[in-house]
Amino acid sequence: MDYGLKPLGREKLWLWLMLVPTIIGLVFGTIGSLFATLGLSLFDWDLINPPTWVGIDNYVALFQNENYIEAFVNTLKFSALYVPGVVIISLLLAVLLNRKMRGVGIFRTIYFLPTVTSAVATALVWNMIYGKETGILNFMLESLGMTPICWLCTDNAMMSVVIVNIWGAIGEGMIIFLAGLTAIPRDYYEAASLDGANNFQQFLRVTLPLVTPSIFFQTLISAINAFQAYDYIYMLTRRGQGDSSVPVAVYSIYRNAFHFFRMGDASAQAIQLALLVGVFMAIMFWWERHYVVYE
Amino acid sequence: MSRSFTKTILDITVYAVLIIGALTMLIPFVWMLSVSLREPAQQYARIIIPTPVTLQNYLDLFKDLPDQAFIYLTFNSFKISILTVVGQVLTCAMAAFVFAIVKFKGRDFLFALLVATLMIPPQVSLIPNFIIFKYLGWIGTQLPLIIPAFWGGAFGTFLLRQYFLTIPRDLVDAARMDGASLFDIFWRVYMPLSKPAVAALSIFVFKDAWNDLLHPLVYLPTDMHQTTLTVGLAFFQQQLQAGGKFTVLMAGAFLSIVPLLIIFFIAQKQFIEGIALSGVKR
Amino acid sequence: MKKFLFVLVMASLLLAACGGGATPADKAPVEITFTMWGAPEELEVWQAVVDDFHSANPNITVKVDVSDWDSYWTKLNTLIAGGTPPDVFAMDAPLFLDWQSRGALLNLQPYIDANPGFLDGFYPQTLTAYKTTDGYYGLPRDFQTIVLFYNKDMFDAAGVEYPTADWTYDDLLAAAKTLTLDKDNDGKIDQYGIWSDTWDMELLWSEAIWSYGGEIINSDHTKTLIGEGGARDAWAFIDSLYKEGVMPTPTASGEFGFDLFQSNMAAMTTIGHWAVPGYVQAEIKFDVAPMPKGPAGQATSVNSAGFVVSKDSKNADAAFEFIKFALGTAGQTKLAQLGFAIPVLKSVAESDAYLKQPGDLNQKVFLDSVAFAHMKPVFKGYEEWAGVIGDGLIPVFDGEAELNPTLDEVIAAADEILANNK
Repeated sequence: MDYGLKPLGREKLWLWLMLVPTIIGLVFGTIGSLFATLGLSLFDWDLINPPTWVGIDNYVALFQNENYIEAFVNTLKFSALYVPGVVIISLLLAVLLNRKMRGVGIFRTIYFLPTVTSAVATALVWNMIYGKETGILNFMLESLGMTPICWLCTDNAMMSVVIVNIWGAIGEGMIIFLAGLTAIPRDYYEAASLDGANNFQQFLRVTLPLVTPSIFFQTLISAINAFQAYDYIYMLTRRGQGDSSVPVAVYSIYRNAFHFFRMGDASAQAIQLALLVGVFMAIMFWWERHYVVYE
Repeated sequence: MSRSFTKTILDITVYAVLIIGALTMLIPFVWMLSVSLREPAQQYARIIIPTPVTLQNYLDLFKDLPDQAFIYLTFNSFKISILTVVGQVLTCAMAAFVFAIVKFKGRDFLFALLVATLMIPPQVSLIPNFIIFKYLGWIGTQLPLIIPAFWGGAFGTFLLRQYFLTIPRDLVDAARMDGASLFDIFWRVYMPLSKPAVAALSIFVFKDAWNDLLHPLVYLPTDMHQTTLTVGLAFFQQQLQAGGKFTVLMAGAFLSIVPLLIIFFIAQKQFIEGIALSGVKR
Repeated sequence: MKKFLFVLVMASLLLAACGGGATPADKAPVEITFTMWGAPEELEVWQAVVDDFHSANPNITVKVDVSDWDSYWTKLNTLIAGGTPPDVFAMDAPLFLDWQSRGALLNLQPYIDANPGFLDGFYPQTLTAYKTTDGYYGLPRDFQTIVLFYNKDMFDAAGVEYPTADWTYDDLLAAAKTLTLDKDNDGKIDQYGIWSDTWDMELLWSEAIWSYGGEIINSDHTKTLIGEGGARDAWAFIDSLYKEGVMPTPTASGEFGFDLFQSNMAAMTTIGHWAVPGYVQAEIKFDVAPMPKGPAGQATSVNSAGFVVSKDSKNADAAFEFIKFALGTAGQTKLAQLGFAIPVLKSVAESDAYLKQPGDLNQKVFLDSVAFAHMKPVFKGYEEWAGVIGDGLIPVFDGEAELNPTLDEVIAAADEILANNK
């Protein structure tokens, strides 16, 4: 990107002052997270004794670890369902709520409410809602004369979990998109109407291109959240002493690190997950370069 | 004539869709509240308003807690969350401004690196970070929970940068011609125009800090006077969950989100209404 | 910190010189950390034990940290990985070897040798889990035997005779059938004959296997034996409980809050003493009987939670003093009154402190069960191994997979874990 002010003389000081906190954070972040994890993935560490070098063995083991492969595939499935769902629904919602109409404030508040809860509280309620015998979803199905569904059984668990996650994230996307939508000057719409464009065409030609900065942000963030999703999924599909019927990548990482004494394997899995995120990020940044309109 | 007819039909459909959607959003909350006000025998009953309504579940939550623990727990959660918001908003806004507006060598690389830190989930960076804090001697204090908020954050910086980028550059040029310095432009031009984004960021940051279980668990002593509300509630939940005491569990869940709801309602005027009014004028 | 201690030591030396020394010169104040998992009710009683200990040993302060099970292990692992381990911490016997074999624990043998007769009053079965070839790396704090609990009201209402010490598993199944009811005729079962957890072996399947003549694992922990001989019959029996509908499936249990006996939806359960306070609080009228007999005899499981000291603890002496207190008569008596577990000291277990605790049930049954109890297996890699079996069998019990083929798969996976953990 070509834009930018050039700082004048003494202003260079301000420039660095404003960046210093973030740079400190970066140092901690890259060392504390990226490098440390990368480094640990080349060792075997049981958390108790000093780490022992194993080179790329942990990565090789990844491909043979059925549990991890299952978890990784689940993560991919989950993300493929969740990301488009969240982005599209919250964008449409923002468009619908970006006008003067009665009760718009109330609607926006209501749609944002789910984001304000915690994973634990949410999972507790949804467990009750999804209950096969006792849940209200099945109650509603039955009163409509339909057969109750076992929402949290292995067949349906993935979809049920995606629904809960989308429910909890729409509000966030809606706010991001609303903020982005209001930054579009009204003159553009007026000009388009004058040219004879109807609502739908205005959406395609004016709104969509100018809201690409928010789409970029929201898609990337949603994807990262999806790849790293763990809390909601675990709490809804938990069985026995800490295992889950829909294991995901972070779940496997956590178990290896904190229950199986295998920090090296956990780190290798984390790096592999990070690579997935990185690839997606690269794709999104490429998309930003070519398709995102900033002015 | 027909134009306004189609418009009315469209409006009605939109309203209908929105209302159905809104109900879906609300059902879990309504259920949570409803169950929390019921007598245990009725916990699975298919009703919305329980008869009788009882507050006993809320009282039961506290009976095993040491005196006034709830007040300490809430205070700790609150203090940490507010400080986190302050730290994040300040440092992320400054960094976002620099990344969005100023041209300097290595800018794009640095930004990419920053966003790259999002690649590692917190469960994984927990142990390396813990070791760093151990060497600093901060284990057992609230510092590891508060100080990192003051050195920026990928999410906040990213969010604000995107928003800043949509503000027309003419404003910057105009300010420049008036002799404004870099910081002036940041503080006097960009920040006021970014209230919605800042408000949104504040809510997200507060929520994440408030709901954080992993970090307070590990850095604070698990003492009902020193840890946070989330850790305290987790402690009680296991027992309740085993016994199927859903009414008390729901009371606990509801209580854990009430402060967030309150903060949200206070702030929502700022940004939900603010969003509509803050369209940037050319 | 060091300066402070130094000054204190000097001060107390002075005091000792002046006043004839009630406080011995070498006891500088020390603070030790003790972490454990537990329920909120346990927090209060442990604090009381700690306070008693402090009165007896004014120079040692114990900071107690109690978390729920999940949080406990996350925090413990982090603290240890970060190099700031707690001095004393709670350990579950089956997981003991995982920690001990990795060198995280302090060998307590020197302390035990310095206190002759210390272990004499203990139930011997509780000690075996913590003993290794070069001594004890931990000590049991209390123990659990699994017995059969039954809801008296439900039995009375259905006109079924209470379980006796002569019951067999077939008697159990028969009673359970009569006790499984759809009270309001809506097609849904409102009361199950029995509930138990079949994920971990401790509550039901190990007992069943043993009483059908099978074994769990071989003595050098290289081969999983749950598919051999009598064990298969035991599994068939457990599966029949699900198929006959007298026991809720794992997925269904989750919906009702895991322990259906406590939520008044099951007439029987097999569980340990830790559940008693919860049941008493839920005002359930219940009593206990020994586990039923199988074709090869009567069997139950004995397990314990223990104390271990971190190898890197800087206050090992003080740590052991605390353990000694908690395992002494005073400490064990207070813990017995808590009602969560059975004291390891025979004298306390057979005293009123244990036998006459709150709850109108026959406490002696837990003690008598020790006679035919098998120790819950302890070996490296236990958690992973148990996970593979527990997870693997859930589809069978949910009715989605066949028992015998799944057992074969699960055993193969379990053996692999054993191999990886040698």
